[in-house]
Amino acid sequence: MARTRLELIEKIEGEAEVLYEYEGERISFAQIRFLNSRHIEKILQGREPLDALVINPRVCGICGHAHLIATVRALEDCFERVPLSQKAEAVREMTLSLELIQNHFKWFYLTVLPLLGLEAPIQRALEPSRLAGEMIALMAGQYPHNSYAIPGGITGEITPVDLLEFRARLERLKLLFRQSLIDVDLEAFVRCERIEEMLSKEGDLPRAMRHILKRGWERVGQSLDHFIVFGGGGLFTEGKSIGTRLQESINLRYLKEEALEGNAAKRVSYRGRYYETGPLARAMVLKTPLIREAHRRYKDSLFSRILARICEVPRLLRYLETLCDGLDLSEASYTDPGPFPASAQGTGIVEAARGSLIHRVTIEEGRISRYQIVTPTQWNLGNGTRENPCPAQKALMGLQRNDPAELVFKAFDVCSVCTTK
Amino acid sequence: MDRRDALAKMFSAKGVRVNTNRGEAYYDRLKKMMQKRLRELRESPAATKVDIQKVLDAEGLSRRDFMKWASAITAMLMLPASFTPLVAEAAELMNRVPVIWIELQDCAGNSEAILRSDSPTIDELILETIDLEFNETLMAAAGHQAEAHLEETMKTFKGKYLCVVEGSVPIGAGKEWCTIGAKAETFEEHLLKVAGDAAAVVAVGTCATFGGVPAAAPNPTGAVGVQDIVKGKPIINIPACPANPANITGTILHFVLTGQIPELDHLNRPKFAFGYRIHDNCERRAHFDAGEFVEEWGDEGAQNNWCLYKMGCKGPMTFNNCSIVRYNSGTNWPIGAGHGCIGCSEPQFWDKYAYERPMADANIKAPTGGVEKSVDEFGLGLLTAAGVGIAIHAAISATAGKKEEEK
Ligand code: SF4
Repeated sequence: MARTRLELIEKIEGEAEVLYEYEGERISFAQIRFLNSRHIEKILQGREPLDALVINPRVCGICGHAHLIATVRALEDCFERVPLSQKAEAVREMTLSLELIQNHFKWFYLTVLPLLGLEAPIQRALEPSRLAGEMIALMAGQYPHNSYAIPGGITGEITPVDLLEFRARLERLKLLFRQSLIDVDLEAFVRCERIEEMLSKEGDLPRAMRHILKRGWERVGQSLDHFIVFGGGGLFTEGKSIGTRLQESINLRYLKEEALEGNAAKRVSYRGRYYETGPLARAMVLKTPLIREAHRRYKDSLFSRILARICEVPRLLRYLETLCDGLDLSEASYTDPGPFPASAQGTGIVEAARGSLIHRVTIEEGRISRYQIVTPTQWNLGNGTRENPCPAQKALMGLQRNDPAELVFKAFDVCSVCTTK
Repeated sequence: MDRRDALAKMFSAKGVRVNTNRGEAYYDRLKKMMQKRLRELRESPAATKVDIQKVLDAEGLSRRDFMKWASAITAMLMLPASFTPLVAEAAELMNRVPVIWIELQDCAGNSEAILRSDSPTIDELILETIDLEFNETLMAAAGHQAEAHLEETMKTFKGKYLCVVEGSVPIGAGKEWCTIGAKAETFEEHLLKVAGDAAAVVAVGTCATFGGVPAAAPNPTGAVGVQDIVKGKPIINIPACPANPANITGTILHFVLTGQIPELDHLNRPKFAFGYRIHDNCERRAHFDAGEFVEEWGDEGAQNNWCLYKMGCKGPMTFNNCSIVRYNSGTNWPIGAGHGCIGCSEPQFWDKYAYERPMADANIKAPTGGVEKSVDEFGLGLLTAAGVGIAIHAAISATAGKKEEEK
């Protein structure tokens, strides 16, 4: 006889409900519900297009910058062509990457380590977050919640002094990465393909991964093995991967959103299938050596998921360095794209910390008539059926009573704030 | 009020005029009162076992770093420098005053801002010493366990704790959707419960103070601020999106120091933080006065950090200390990155202020030689309706500030 137990998960951000169904000692099914909604999509209707630049960062205090960049991209997409200087493009990539970095640090220290029962010095999350926040502020004014990106570029002038300050903090971030997460050369780590090599190093990452192995959890939390990445360009490539079978082209035409009764989050699918998005998906599409190796051994388990997320940090840090090096401060910050079209449609895609974030806007008679936001958590924590579950559900199904269910769930890093908008 | 009058008032108003020197007798009295309060606190039981000195030591921060921080806060609270040791002592006694932090309908942006507040000293102070008893963002304990902890803290420190609220309160149709905890209380019930036994309620961020983004038209969830729900309790509003962590720490410290809430303006905002307009202390003010404006993004003015008024800056009608305290440990602030102030600490700014466009039409001839004069040169017919709304509101804020000052 199936027993049903209601488990409330209060997570790092906001609130979700997970209803576990047990068959004996085994979780046979899990339903996921999000309870709260502010209806930002409705609030945007009828407003002037540029207002979205001020409202949308407030969709989420955790990944608000991703929402700003997605908004500006969606608005720019409404124009026939927007001449964007390389500088403006690069600065946006910089602030976006920093948001990812600080999210990764915080998730690892404030969520993962405590759930593993390991010592988790909060300072190791706070200092990098503070640095990343300051670096964003140097370029964008403040963090969280700024509106420095506008169709055609960015509002501010970056001075050589700003850049100097930026670089000084970047050096510190790199040092902190080595001191706290894993003590290896950034360059070498990005190329590393052997799990044993990673495990043999000093640092909180190998410590956590060794602990997972010791507890025998390395195969726990396997999910659909379907990955999707919508945001190409920059550091990531778009594509989908079923297991290791890669397909590069993605067409948003196949994305479908459906409302569910009693759930503030809509369920999304691509060509009728559910996909996992986020760092593991990005690594699978990019064929990151170490993650492919983890996947070969342990499939899309919590081991691979956690490792994939932290492995993004050194790549992002290196990316920041490349962007700084290539920055030509004499370029224009802003190039006038001309008057905003009276009616148009636009899409803006961003790879946020937790995965692909998609904004779609329709403008009619100079006003927003429709705004649609599809968030990463909608993919990962969708509420599917027993026969056809969504990624987190699938990962929970089949777990035994003493398996780390909460960790499996939170390895997807729930963010209900923006999911329910 | 006539539109022209309203505009003229807006630009000539002197702000709230905070009294920063109240005379020796006043400060002597204040000092005695604070000393007594701190003595009492020292004898009362701690809400947490964390010892600030140990925290500092563990992080390798010297006494000097700590005192430097304390003197900055003293200045921010508009106290004479001789109060620095008292402020430092209060910081050490912060663990005697539990803070219960609750999140309602929000984006978690305020707790995010706190998480990267100022130097590590303050992170420690906030996170470990003052003990955010029940911050849903920071808390490691989950679900039922956390709830039991909350109830216990409320009982033990009945009438003594500060209740800090982040997020708005949805009271419209569908509010039963917004529930919290295992007992599925609505946000309103949860707030009333926790605020009920608090010494004072601190509404942090524009959502908690005035409803914020969720309350933007058409306000789908019927969102309101804390002061619309909680009655018969002192309420301190610290608006802005996000609220500046320095202002939150400052308010809490003030409470520890005096057992009272800081002096407030007509919108319940602490005067130490909201006594001036952005415009009063803006680094681009000289350009405003000289009639040098950014007229288009990326133009010569933008490259030379000229005034953003014509690009929609709402600094002249927004009360907050961003221009002085700045954000992210004082690294920068929106105007520093070339974007006008969006007025995020004023009520209903989403509908009145948020527009990414000037409050007056950009075709207006650039005012030259003195501001007040220039107001007459403005082609008032060109003003947008929104612009006038803003102008009148600002004039009212300015007069309201004045009235209080006269009292
Ligand atoms: S930028 Fe804004 S706040 Fe600064 S001087 Fe100009 S109008 Fe005033």
